[in-house]
Amino acid sequence: MVLPHTISLPFFLENFRGKRLFFGGVAMFAYIIRRLLYTIPVLWGVVTVVFILMAVVPGDPARLMMGQRGDPQTLEKIRADLGLDLPLHQQYLRFLKDILRGDFGKSYRNNEEVTTAIFDRLGATFRLAAWAMVLATMVGVLAGIVSAVKQYSVFDYSAMFIAISGVSAPVFWVGLLLLLVFAYGFNLVPGVGYGDGSWRYLILPVITLGVRPAALIARLTRSCMLEVLNQDYVRTARAKGLSEKVVVGRHALKNAMIPVVTIVGTQISLLLSGAVLTETIFAWPGIGRLAVEALVARDFPMIRGTVISMALIFLIVNIVVDISYGLIDPRVRYD
Amino acid sequence: MTVKKRFALVLALLLSGGILLFAGMAFAEDPVYGGVLRWREINDPPKLDPAMATDTVSSRNLYLMYDMLVENDPDGQGLLPRLAESWEAEEGIVFTFHLRPGVHFHKESLGEPTLNGGREVTAADWKYSFERLVKVTSPRAYFIDMVKGYQDFVDGKTEEWEGIKVIDDYTLQFELTYPFAPFVSVLAYNSFMVVPKEDAEHWGKDFNFHPVGTGPFIMQEWQHDQKTVYKKNPEYWRKDAAGNALPYLDGVEIIVIPDNTVAYEEFKKGNIDCFPDFPDEYYLTAKKEFGELLQERPWMGTYYYGFNCLKEPFKDNKKLRQALNYAVDRVRINDLVLEGRYFPGKGVLPPGMFAYNENLKGYSFDPEKAKALMAEAGFPDGFTAQLNVNNNPRHKAVAEAIQAQLMELGIKLNINVLDWGVHLDIAERAETEMFRMGWVVDYADPDNFLYVLLDSENWGPKGNYAHYKNPEVDALLGEARVETDPAKRVELYQRAEEIIVDDAPWIFLFHYTTSLLAQDWIKNIHLPAMGDYSTPLYNVWTTKK
Repeated sequence: MVLPHTISLPFFLENFRGKRLFFGGVAMFAYIIRRLLYTIPVLWGVVTVVFILMAVVPGDPARLMMGQRGDPQTLEKIRADLGLDLPLHQQYLRFLKDILRGDFGKSYRNNEEVTTAIFDRLGATFRLAAWAMVLATMVGVLAGIVSAVKQYSVFDYSAMFIAISGVSAPVFWVGLLLLLVFAYGFNLVPGVGYGDGSWRYLILPVITLGVRPAALIARLTRSCMLEVLNQDYVRTARAKGLSEKVVVGRHALKNAMIPVVTIVGTQISLLLSGAVLTETIFAWPGIGRLAVEALVARDFPMIRGTVISMALIFLIVNIVVDISYGLIDPRVRYD
Repeated sequence: MTVKKRFALVLALLLSGGILLFAGMAFAEDPVYGGVLRWREINDPPKLDPAMATDTVSSRNLYLMYDMLVENDPDGQGLLPRLAESWEAEEGIVFTFHLRPGVHFHKESLGEPTLNGGREVTAADWKYSFERLVKVTSPRAYFIDMVKGYQDFVDGKTEEWEGIKVIDDYTLQFELTYPFAPFVSVLAYNSFMVVPKEDAEHWGKDFNFHPVGTGPFIMQEWQHDQKTVYKKNPEYWRKDAAGNALPYLDGVEIIVIPDNTVAYEEFKKGNIDCFPDFPDEYYLTAKKEFGELLQERPWMGTYYYGFNCLKEPFKDNKKLRQALNYAVDRVRINDLVLEGRYFPGKGVLPPGMFAYNENLKGYSFDPEKAKALMAEAGFPDGFTAQLNVNNNPRHKAVAEAIQAQLMELGIKLNINVLDWGVHLDIAERAETEMFRMGWVVDYADPDNFLYVLLDSENWGPKGNYAHYKNPEVDALLGEARVETDPAKRVELYQRAEEIIVDDAPWIFLFHYTTSLLAQDWIKNIHLPAMGDYSTPLYNVWTTKK
């Protein structure tokens, strides 16, 4: 498999080619460096696009701070305080300079440090997304494997029916249904909110958030497994007299996992970048809600901060996913 | 036992039972100390610095922690003393306030001692707080731009605000540049609250996150996007009628639940005690289930569709604007779309407002008259216009109902649903033909409606989005602003409103209501006319522990 984003690092490779400095070798190290360097222009692109979008989209943050009624003199003063009276190119340069210093500024809306606000909410989102992904991967992969192995069985039909429903069901509907039944109907779990951080508050939002990726993973695992199970080498393995467990677990599953890892990676990125609906229904103090509220208030520093952090998460997860290909499939090379 | 004795015994039993019953009832209604009240809000408060807040969620929080000089009467019919015990006005120009002694700032905030150390509030603190509004560029400082020296102080030409004088520790005086009748009403607005200099200066812009006031509750914790937690201020200045200390509650939690369905379920489960601004979708169910626990009353606010008076087809076409007023069936829309919760409007001023005119003719639903007026206006077969509405299910539903009603007369409304910021931008630049807008009271005076929304001095962002201009109206409103005789003011405002209604720069649609659903264990909670977010909690108690 040829991976994209190949750039040469002549000096490094010249000196260390073929030497296994750590797991994955020099090539992998070089690959990671290359990918990390790639994030710089990507992030710059994101920053620039976000800046341009905020500049052209109608809706003046100073105006929104004043409410429905405001006098022009105060409005101008607020715009000057926020630096919105400067020419666009100056605002852009100032913004880039601040970012390079790691300063995302303060929220227009409540004067909170953007980085503090993001880190505060990121923890809650990470907790939610991580558990949702663990649940989705476990349920999805397991259901996919069993469905493929027992193709056209009752389990297969039921699992795939549930998977299709899971993909189609709107998140807010699933969330409300779970709340109405388990929190308000049977009183099995607490209602909404982060509570004291107890795991009991996590159960319903994790299930709500995990349903869709679980369904996607189950469907993909099934189709990949079915494809692999019909390959010659699987037939050979069976002919050698290996047990079905070994055939499925060691020979088929590993080869079927590459597309699944890709989808898991994409889903992690999406969940981490803010599960807005789930966070809204469950009053979960995450980054998705922060971003939406910032958008409504035209809170430029907060919008930029959340978008850049989401982009960064997306890039990092993608790098991790790409690296994991090599761990799953030894044919994958990083040069 | 003789019949007489038996009768006496039965009577005695009945009497003692009755006494016990009444005693029990009285006992049940007696205030109880302790407990925490949990109040639902839809989002995190953006601003907890009174100088900077402009939204209702922030206001809800501010009323717990801070005090103004005066406050609105619960029915919006006048002003009551708060940190000013009394005041007097000289010819509408000089206002002298006599401050309440023995009021102290909070000793602590967020679990830390405050820098003011819980000292007493004096007139110098008020002067500082008013000047601070200008220094931190408060979006509401201009509400009192008639106080002498405002512009010089804003421009940095003077060190202090000339028109605000500290006479002594307990006397504060304002001098205005012109007589302004609603001046004291304006001071009841929640930007004009007292803050301690030591803490405000120390924290600067971060005072927002370290609020210190004089109010009944002290901030204990702020978990962003989750809740703000308050505990009682043991040195709060108010006492109840029996001389007992207030507040009764140990604390208040303002809990953020963005979704209405979930919030209602949380209420039913008993996880929240108060659900303000009760949503339409559960209104009928809740009314049936909770009866009088769902309080609702007229709110001083007006819901209208503005015509752009600078743009065709409404520019210089009074008859067309009147025709649309006759073409809308407000009663039907209110019943079918708004669950009958609003009041169909006849004019600008809401019921309960000073100078409200009960005899104002307004516009009733009359399609025939509308057709005739349209023909006279030069549009016998109708026309097409764009209506901008800000993104909200209620506004969208009303717009669609009006669209259907106007369609009957051949008027095609193209509804454009916009984000609030974009909506405001377009309306203030007069770029659309029609727009939805609403206005709820800042200070309980007709000036806050008629002058702000319809005087030509306030075109665009200052409030007059219709860009309506009538010199006669301007003159009447100008006269009413400086007139100090209440009877004359009523006359001037009513005359101005009659002309405005006849000119029809808006479709006068509805007047708002405000609502609050509270649990039956929450006692003595009364919804004020100024809106649910200003519901006083200092004298509320809970029987649930």
